[in-house]
Amino acid sequence: MDTNNKTPPLLAGRGWGEGASAPDPTRRAILALPLAALAATHARAAEPIRLGLLHTLSPAPFYIAQERGYFAAEGVDVTFRFFQAAQPIAAAAVAGDIDVGVTALTGGFFNLAETGALKVIGGALHEERGYEGSAILVSNAAFAAGVTAPAKLAGRSFAITQYGSSFHYMVGRIAQAEGFDPASVHLRVVQTVPNMVAAVQSGQVDATIAIASMARPLAASGQGHIVGWVGDIVPYQITAVFTTPAMIDKRADALRRFARAYARGVADYRAAFLRLDAAGKPIVDATTDAAIPLLTKYVFTGDPAARAKILGGVGYYDAGGALDAKDVAAQLDWFRKQGLVKGDLPASAIIDTGFLPVR
Amino acid sequence: MPPPDGSGAERPVPFRGGGFAPHARPLLGAATLVVLVALWQAGAMAGLIPRLFLPAPAAVAAALYNLALSGQLWLQMSASLARLAGGWSLGTLAGLLVGLAAGLFTLARSPSLSVVAALFPIPKIALVPLFIIWFGIGEGSKIATIALGVFFPTVIATVGAVDGVPRNLIRMGQSFGLSRAAIVAKIVLPGALPGILTGFRVTAAIAIILLVAAEMIGAERGIGAFVLAAGNLYDTPALLAGIVVLSVLGLLVSWLIGRLERWLLAWR
Amino acid sequence: MPRGLRLEARGIRHAYRDLTVLDGIDLAAEPGQVLVLIGPSGCGKSTLLSILGGMLRPSAGVVLQSGEVAAGCLNPLTYVFQDFALLPWRTVAGNVALALEGAGLPRAARASRVQEMLALTGLSAFAGAWPRQLSGGMRQRVGIARALAVRPACLLMDEPLSALDAQTRDVLADEFAALIARAGTTTVYVTHNLREAVRLGHRIAVLSRRPGRVREIVAIDRPLSGRNMADPDLLRIEAALWALMRDDAAAAAREVSDASA
Ligand SMILES: Nc1ncnc2c1ncn2[C@@H]1O[C@H](COP(=O)(O)OP(=O)(O)OP(=O)(O)O)[C@@H](O)[C@H]1O
Ligand SMILES: [Mg+2]
Repeated sequence: MDTNNKTPPLLAGRGWGEGASAPDPTRRAILALPLAALAATHARAAEPIRLGLLHTLSPAPFYIAQERGYFAAEGVDVTFRFFQAAQPIAAAAVAGDIDVGVTALTGGFFNLAETGALKVIGGALHEERGYEGSAILVSNAAFAAGVTAPAKLAGRSFAITQYGSSFHYMVGRIAQAEGFDPASVHLRVVQTVPNMVAAVQSGQVDATIAIASMARPLAASGQGHIVGWVGDIVPYQITAVFTTPAMIDKRADALRRFARAYARGVADYRAAFLRLDAAGKPIVDATTDAAIPLLTKYVFTGDPAARAKILGGVGYYDAGGALDAKDVAAQLDWFRKQGLVKGDLPASAIIDTGFLPVR
Repeated sequence: MPPPDGSGAERPVPFRGGGFAPHARPLLGAATLVVLVALWQAGAMAGLIPRLFLPAPAAVAAALYNLALSGQLWLQMSASLARLAGGWSLGTLAGLLVGLAAGLFTLARSPSLSVVAALFPIPKIALVPLFIIWFGIGEGSKIATIALGVFFPTVIATVGAVDGVPRNLIRMGQSFGLSRAAIVAKIVLPGALPGILTGFRVTAAIAIILLVAAEMIGAERGIGAFVLAAGNLYDTPALLAGIVVLSVLGLLVSWLIGRLERWLLAWR
Repeated sequence: MPRGLRLEARGIRHAYRDLTVLDGIDLAAEPGQVLVLIGPSGCGKSTLLSILGGMLRPSAGVVLQSGEVAAGCLNPLTYVFQDFALLPWRTVAGNVALALEGAGLPRAARASRVQEMLALTGLSAFAGAWPRQLSGGMRQRVGIARALAVRPACLLMDEPLSALDAQTRDVLADEFAALIARAGTTTVYVTHNLREAVRLGHRIAVLSRRPGRVREIVAIDRPLSGRNMADPDLLRIEAALWALMRDDAAAAAREVSDASA
């Protein structure tokens, strides 16, 4: 049931997947086992940490840290708990099912964090100038009708997964940046990422936002047009690493070691995938090829096109797993202004910068 | 059985006929709800029930109040009511026609019943993406979702109700020389009406349940869409407020059908 | 020769699958007369009545009708049912009006016909009542009113009184006698009750036990109106009928208990 092989445009890439991506549930958690041996060489018993994450390419640095034994070397025994969608990861942390999570910063996430139940401790995926992450995808009909640039989205229909999702946020910020009224955009809630893309493909909506690995093949086959990249207009922190206040109180040491291993994973990841040449093209060399097999243990397993999909799908991570704390505060502010986040805790109260660097 | 003292003296016959006859005590039912809500509120105020797990009734009421005050409630309700009315009417009309045909004609019976048996168990939510391709992202797919959910139970209820019309009444009609159409109009339909109205109770509830599924995709307004958005935002007071609205809607519809029954089935 | 319809069964045979119920029935209901069918339980009386009224196709044989059907008759062959077969969702008046509705009768004529029938059966005060509000006897009066409303040429009555208690039965039997005598309608009347048979029959056909054949036809040449059930002649006929039926009745009862054993 390897859906990753069969539906490349929908599941490939680093989707932070608010909505359905369909990982193989049978692979959950057991992948961490071979490294138990390494961990055993430490004097101390390894600290168990349950990490909640999406079964996509987006948490790639965690895969690398796990496969290269960085967690084990720090004396933490990390178990991956894979989720179908981003939102439940935060809820699982609140419920005590996971210790640490990587997920999208959404209205729902902030509402949970505003109750004091969650703390953001580090950065993960970041929209970044020059790194083609999320594309603004326009339907053929809308493109023909003149929607050829992000500024022309005013008054158009736009598919998002849900109110308060990253997509909702991106549309709002794009409108701000391009100088048109966000209220003029007709938002169409369609729940899942595949639905968003299908809605543009079939012309039921004018535009949406899709990750590069989904948007590029569509544009290439003439089923839509890419009119811009989110990272070029509104660079921002899409996903972040978070934990619970209880973890910070009681197991700060384990968290610190977890964070160090994660930062090593990010360093390897950046070395493998995020170096650009003088022309701004990604450099692919032996370092890259050494990292790819670590990832194919988790995504695109057995897919002959895995390499191309990974190279086309990797997204930007800040050095050291740094958190764009200013941007997180800006996001919280935006969601609150929209009436989507109700609480009144300041951003500083939901962020803990004691474990990973700040951008 | 001899009496304990074996004397055979005169003694009262013990009463054995009690129980097994629960009475309806509407006040008791209402009081139970009030006490539960009060306990819940007290628990929340005492800090025993964290806001994150279950918002206090007062918070839910406040969310409901704000919803009503801002005019949102009516906007969301009117969109949902239009979909419910359209979808339910469409599904009911089609279901009645097919159910009557299956109940009356040999040629229609097996084909339609086998199709119903094959398609009824399909979760309509799973068909939503297909409906979007067929009927678009607008009202069409939403009405279709509700209509389809209502259609199958209506067929089943109607066929059962028609089958349940006493044969002797139909023979009576034939023996009086009534035309086929007159027998259907004057005997089969009124005879099937109680069963059909019971079906309405079920299908009205199904329509409300499917409202959330129908409004999953592309709905700007609607109670279902509102509940989904609130859930996605973990705005639990709003979520519960939406659920209260849905539940009140259910009560209202059930009450309306009760009135309809009392009016149409006065003869019972 | 009295006016009215003559209904004749010729060579009627009927089998439900392998079970032959009727075997060679030749029998006529004479115009304006009451033909009573009696016979042991399960001998095929109801089957025969259904065949006579065209509600069941016989395995063999024909039913022929002849004679005059009065103008204004809306349904020549009209049944009165043992279980009344009233529509519970129609009032008494509505049930009586049922068969008049498709007949092209003007509204006013229809209403007055219904009034007339209700008056005839003593139901005027109950025109607006639901069937569930009526006693069994009143329900069968509605059945009679409904049947007479169509001005039938022939009444087919299958144990119309058997669901009622003994006193109501006697009262209604007298009423039936009066109504039938007045209208002069040809009638086929099925019963188990010999007293009823003697009270209402011009001719009484005694059927044998299954497969049913006509064993005997007893004629009573007294007018229906003014039959006195204490009349020794009538009592003698009742006794004779009982003598004819007793063995068959006992055998039929045994058959039932064997089958259920
Ligand atoms: N529809 C039917 N299918 C099969 N058998 C039938 C059917 N109707 C009647 N029978 C059988 O035919 C026989 C005659 O039935 P019928 O009802 O005509 O008898 P009956 O003389 O009216 O009896 P009763 O006096 O008890 O009313 C019975 O044995 C009955 O079981
Ligand atoms: Mg019978």
